[in-house]
Amino acid sequence: MGSILKVDLTTGALKSEPISEDVARKYLGGKGYAVYLLYKYLREYESKGMAPIDIDPLGPENVLIFATGPGTGVPGFPCSGRYHVMALRSPLTGSVGSANSGGEWGPFLKFSGYDMIVIEGESEEPVYLSIVNGSAELRSAKDLWGKNTFDTCRILSKRVGGKNTSVACIGPAGENLVRMACIINDEHRAAGRTGLGAVMGSKKLKAIVVSGEGKVPVANPDEFKEVSRRCLETMRKNRVTGEGLPTYGTSILINVINTVGGLPYKNWQTGVNPYADKISGETLAETYLTGRRACWGCTIGCGRVTMVPSGSFQVLKSEGPEYESIWALGGSTGVKDLDAIVKANHYCDELGMDPISLGSTIAAAMELSEKGYIPEEDLQGLDLRFGNSAALVEAVWRTAYKVGFGKYLALGSKKLCEIYGHPEISMSVKGLELPAYDPRAIKGIGLNYATANRGGCHVTGYTISVEILGIPEKIDPLTPEGKAKWVKLFQDFTCVVNSTVNCLFATFALSVKDYAELLSAVTGWNLSEGDILEIGERIYNLERIIVNKLGFDSKDDTLSKRLLEEPMPEGPAKGHVVELEKMKEEYYRIRGWVNGVPTTEKLRELKIEL
Amino acid sequence: MTNISVKVLLFATLRKKYGVKELVVNCDGTIEGLIKSASKILGESFIDDIYDKERGKVRDDLIFTINGRNIKDLKGDVELRDQDVIAIFPPLAGG
Repeated sequence: MGSILKVDLTTGALKSEPISEDVARKYLGGKGYAVYLLYKYLREYESKGMAPIDIDPLGPENVLIFATGPGTGVPGFPCSGRYHVMALRSPLTGSVGSANSGGEWGPFLKFSGYDMIVIEGESEEPVYLSIVNGSAELRSAKDLWGKNTFDTCRILSKRVGGKNTSVACIGPAGENLVRMACIINDEHRAAGRTGLGAVMGSKKLKAIVVSGEGKVPVANPDEFKEVSRRCLETMRKNRVTGEGLPTYGTSILINVINTVGGLPYKNWQTGVNPYADKISGETLAETYLTGRRACWGCTIGCGRVTMVPSGSFQVLKSEGPEYESIWALGGSTGVKDLDAIVKANHYCDELGMDPISLGSTIAAAMELSEKGYIPEEDLQGLDLRFGNSAALVEAVWRTAYKVGFGKYLALGSKKLCEIYGHPEISMSVKGLELPAYDPRAIKGIGLNYATANRGGCHVTGYTISVEILGIPEKIDPLTPEGKAKWVKLFQDFTCVVNSTVNCLFATFALSVKDYAELLSAVTGWNLSEGDILEIGERIYNLERIIVNKLGFDSKDDTLSKRLLEEPMPEGPAKGHVVELEKMKEEYYRIRGWVNGVPTTEKLRELKIEL
Repeated sequence: MTNISVKVLLFATLRKKYGVKELVVNCDGTIEGLIKSASKILGESFIDDIYDKERGKVRDDLIFTINGRNIKDLKGDVELRDQDVIAIFPPLAGG
């Protein structure tokens, strides 16, 4: 078993604790282990008389956890270059904070000697955490405060030097407590969602640099070698993981989702974007794409390297934009200039913000502005009309620095729309902006959005796989029938993936059985398919208990009014709304929940001790 | 069989391979007829890329839509109508 580094930023104390095998057997690692630890913190606060809803997401009492799992950094474990981050509370949503990132940082954390880092308290002065070959220390980051993420990554990588060195950090947005600030590692990889960059900023933690040459142990090397060989071969032969994703990356979805009438346009006023092809993966490949970049140990290599060689939105070297970023910064805002989208996405990486939440918040502001709900004096010259490329790019940096109207955008769409008296215009769930699939055209993903613990999220339970892509089988996206069981299965299995920790994209080729065999070989625990799905369900339920304690229940398991009441105006899903209550009732029944809360019987069945 | 005219849209590697984004195809209204007619414009390999001859249906790993509805989600025998829009995607995914 590995080690957890506990860092108290208030006192500056660092200590190492062993990973508990008992906990790991129940919660695996990564997200699962982090959920277990967060629940313990919550109980500790309660025992001291602090109500969970009184925890300030930007206060010293919030806890931030960086976690790898048994698969992370194991050579030959498919797509295992990732890490998971969690916080007791998200400053954007007030619910649990949760995000996941690729690149090299996750494996290199392991090579540096630790499996997880738990951050408590807050520092008076800016600091960064350095972990080099098992030796951890806090150092002053006064010279780094104010720097963007690219400079921070480069400076700290050079300062520490050595092999296997990687930096996770915040940019100005995190320092300025922008609610959708993210954590960036390896310059262009992001733990993007739920505002965890602002949590780092509130703690004055600028960066964590990891470096090391340690080896990750495997319990049964011969068995693992065989399972790994078979799984990697499956991924190579699979036309999605072996051809589609490597060739076009994620943005290839733009045209597919638009074709089925589910690509939200102009803040979800419709699901058909007449300019989709102009911002598609095909167009990106023909214009600004210059290469690919794979995460550590990845055979897919979906990352895009891009350049806008000239013009107003020139970017000499960037990465992305991904499907979600193109949609949020382009589709939802009605911007059809791909160069402006590349530039806006580049700024999001450089300044450290989640493009989904930011693009969606700008789109909401555009609708508010076009409908005359924002006074001119608040906009301070920012011309927020749908389709205005220059305003999009301007809005991105204004948000990071909270300049002019940026200080409103920095609050996220929910608070922004509440301020201007039209909460229905925020396309969010539990305060987290929705991603790029309109559930009026793809019903199951709507149930997933509504019930996702961290709020409006697609990768909590990616039913797009079955509803649109036909993986592992094809079901009709326009019917609410039979969706609940799929949502539950995807949510539980994704907990396994995020606790392993490896990339969700591996699941386009690999099955639950493959994961059971991989994890069995790595841990030596002889896990069946049923065992790992039970672990996933346990994690999802304990996370839900935390979410319940933070004040969320059935009333919050819902969707924006537009999706429930305004029929899709055009396209293949014309006339459709989301029949949420019907799906939710079935989902709660299958989950063993009442009003969005796990029952005592369910917790007992899952061996969750509260 | 009636002669109809449909629009065929190609995406991703199919667009790259055949060098066209869209084409108008005259056909008899059946899927097999459509693919054969399109292959006269795009070349014989189009049939193998799109059609599973043994099973007499569109290849299982493609996303093949008619007016935005996946052919796998359509009930009964599929009959194309004049001015239908067919979109064909190779196996792909994202997130």
